[in-house]
Amino acid sequence: MSGVLDLVKPRLWPLLHRRPNGSARQYARLAVMATVAGVLWIGVFLVSLRVLTHFSTIEQIGTLLNFKLLNMLLVTALALLVFSDILTALSKLYLARDLPLVHALPVPAYRIFLARWIEISFDGSWMVVAFTLPVFLAYGVVFEQGLLFGLVLPAVLVPFALLAAAFSCLLVLLAVIVIPATRMKNIFILLGLLAFVAVYMTIRMARPEQLVDPEVFDSVMTYVASLQTPSSPWLPSTWAYSALHVALEGDPAGGLLDIALLWSGTGVLLFVCIGLADMLYFRGYSRTQAAGHKFRRRPLSKTRRRSLFKGPIRALLEKELKTFWRDQTQWSQVFLIAALVVIYVYNFKVLPLEKSPMPTFYLQNLLAFLNMGLALFVLTAITARFAFPAVCSEREAFWIIKIAPISMRAFLWIKFSIYFLPLLILTEGLIVVTNTLLKVAPFMMGLSVLTVFAMVPGIVAMGIGFGALNPNFRTENPAQAVTGFDGLLFMVLCTAFIGAVLALEAGPVYRFLFAQLSNRPLSTRWFLRAWACGLLAAILCAAAAVIPMAMGRRRLEGRGI
Amino acid sequence: MIELQSIIKTYGSYTALHGLNLSVPAGEIFGFIGPNGAGKTTTIKIIGGIMAPTAGTVRIAGIDMARDPVAAKQRIGFIPDRPYLYEKLTGLEFLQFTADVYRVSPDVFGEKALALLEMFALAEWGEELIESYSHGMKQRLIMCAALLHDPEVLVVDEPMVGLDPVAIRMVKNLFRELAARGITVFMSTHTLAVAEDICDRIGIIHRGRLIAEGALDDLRKDMAGGAPNLEAVFINLTQAPGENPVADRPT
Repeated sequence: MSGVLDLVKPRLWPLLHRRPNGSARQYARLAVMATVAGVLWIGVFLVSLRVLTHFSTIEQIGTLLNFKLLNMLLVTALALLVFSDILTALSKLYLARDLPLVHALPVPAYRIFLARWIEISFDGSWMVVAFTLPVFLAYGVVFEQGLLFGLVLPAVLVPFALLAAAFSCLLVLLAVIVIPATRMKNIFILLGLLAFVAVYMTIRMARPEQLVDPEVFDSVMTYVASLQTPSSPWLPSTWAYSALHVALEGDPAGGLLDIALLWSGTGVLLFVCIGLADMLYFRGYSRTQAAGHKFRRRPLSKTRRRSLFKGPIRALLEKELKTFWRDQTQWSQVFLIAALVVIYVYNFKVLPLEKSPMPTFYLQNLLAFLNMGLALFVLTAITARFAFPAVCSEREAFWIIKIAPISMRAFLWIKFSIYFLPLLILTEGLIVVTNTLLKVAPFMMGLSVLTVFAMVPGIVAMGIGFGALNPNFRTENPAQAVTGFDGLLFMVLCTAFIGAVLALEAGPVYRFLFAQLSNRPLSTRWFLRAWACGLLAAILCAAAAVIPMAMGRRRLEGRGI
Repeated sequence: MIELQSIIKTYGSYTALHGLNLSVPAGEIFGFIGPNGAGKTTTIKIIGGIMAPTAGTVRIAGIDMARDPVAAKQRIGFIPDRPYLYEKLTGLEFLQFTADVYRVSPDVFGEKALALLEMFALAEWGEELIESYSHGMKQRLIMCAALLHDPEVLVVDEPMVGLDPVAIRMVKNLFRELAARGITVFMSTHTLAVAEDICDRIGIIHRGRLIAEGALDDLRKDMAGGAPNLEAVFINLTQAPGENPVADRPT
């Protein structure tokens, strides 16, 4: 075991020895990140508490419903854990950069596997466990359980996560013998996202908004309570459910057999994994390394494709597009966004405007105004995924840009241009289609199109600019860049920017619509106010487009490689 | 062609370069050697415009790097020691990318790229993705890219790392040819035999200071009692009596 722990030490030491350097900036970052995580965690707890308390008040089926939800939650958590662990296992066991060094050590393959399994168990499950924990705690509060339930929770959740990691490792060990790890990771990401999109679209098309209708709600809840969730005695989620179920009913000792099943199941699976790893792990790793070297001698094409652009613009544009389309992991993201856009438009198509007690004209235009904010939030999310990591995605090849005869200003604005046009078309498309579905007045359509046109440069520039502040060029996955402090800053400032511009527009627009509805003329004061608000909004948009880019440029200029 | 004046570079409280002064004329192959952590790569990065000095001036072909970095960089071909490239491009696409960035005329690109790929034995792999290249192939592709725009100055960090003996000989001959055509080659290396073989002048940097500079014969003669080769000169100058030869500070 000490040999295995030695292999884990390089991962542990930086965590144990890392201390904040004492700068106010670093403490501020830590404080902001901790606050956001804390707020999110407490939010999940409070929402769960509210929902479970509400369900428990439903006569006859309340408790049954809560237990059904618990079972569903555990089945979903198990599926998420297995999916997450498979991706982590593929990276940790076959694709990590330190593997050549580790495999050169005089250590048997099964020990390397065991050390990696420890890392996989933690990396693949901490997030699922951390954010399901407040839900389980809410169950404890609603069912009025105390310390004993608090002891049962880790006794159930820890082996639950370890078992999922061992099962995922077992699958990966076997699968890599048939399909190389690199290809398999892409396949899994694609399948996972397609499954998510399918589930998401199915749920949306089932029109869950009908639940708001009290008549429908009761029958649906009865239906959910009678649903047969997967409860095979072979599923670890069933063991976890049984252990938690009896603990919630005040009999923690009643779940000891299920807890023992979870722990012994983990032990058995791990034992099988170790045996298989001894036989297969090195073979699979060796095969993964050889998979990338398929050479086909081909004659060089001497013709260059014609292009609208020249010089550095063409260089960066073609590089960005080719790199994007040749990376299969990006395709799945495009599918996901396509699904989100379809759902977004569908939501407007099925809006029951006619059932509203408010005048349709007023409601249509109010929704069109809110629609601007929503579409810009969608843009922010897409920018965060694609434009924010644009600088970071240069990775260690960033030296090529640093030595090239182009200024950092030009580099950043070219990057901006690459993302600006498709994102502008997407957002304008969303606004025009949804406003057409809402049948809004020409004034609102014009205002929406103009507002989006003015704000898209600011949001894209914030994505590029904040992404250039502290890019980690050594990261294995640039798309994760947005999960850091600068990504958080980007999201918060984008929200503030959208909120500020819409707030400036709201007053004059409201008065304009009200005047139209009541057939009253607009006053001179309205015109003055509208101009002032418009000017302020334009200044905000210009500042959002220029300042982050200047900040990013300064950082990149001062940064070595 | 390359002029460094009073270059100082600090990393926090650590000073990597202490007022470095250096001048390399056109058509010279200058070898830059020194122990690990002496400041070689920092100097190379400052010459290439990758890193700004804390103080001092860098001029490339008379152009101040701080004032007009774009014009200065247009005259440099840079070859780093680690060949990080855009892995999802093919070799030929990477050369097209480089040609566009350095504004190489489309009329000459095709022939030039083909000639360079053939010279570096990459012509058959030009349409393959770079991610499938070996370390040596990537290094050779970077050399192709560095020469594509006819630089006046070639800055090379460890030119022979990852190359096979045939490629090493080819690169040595190439550097001589380039120098004969008036191109300045500034190269940092740990391979003292290569420096002895092809460099017109050699500079030895130690703890951020240029402690010796001159032709190989002059350096050897300057040693008390003479030195048989560059290795002896290097060890004599950089290792104090009783000093651990591998105990250097990282940069």
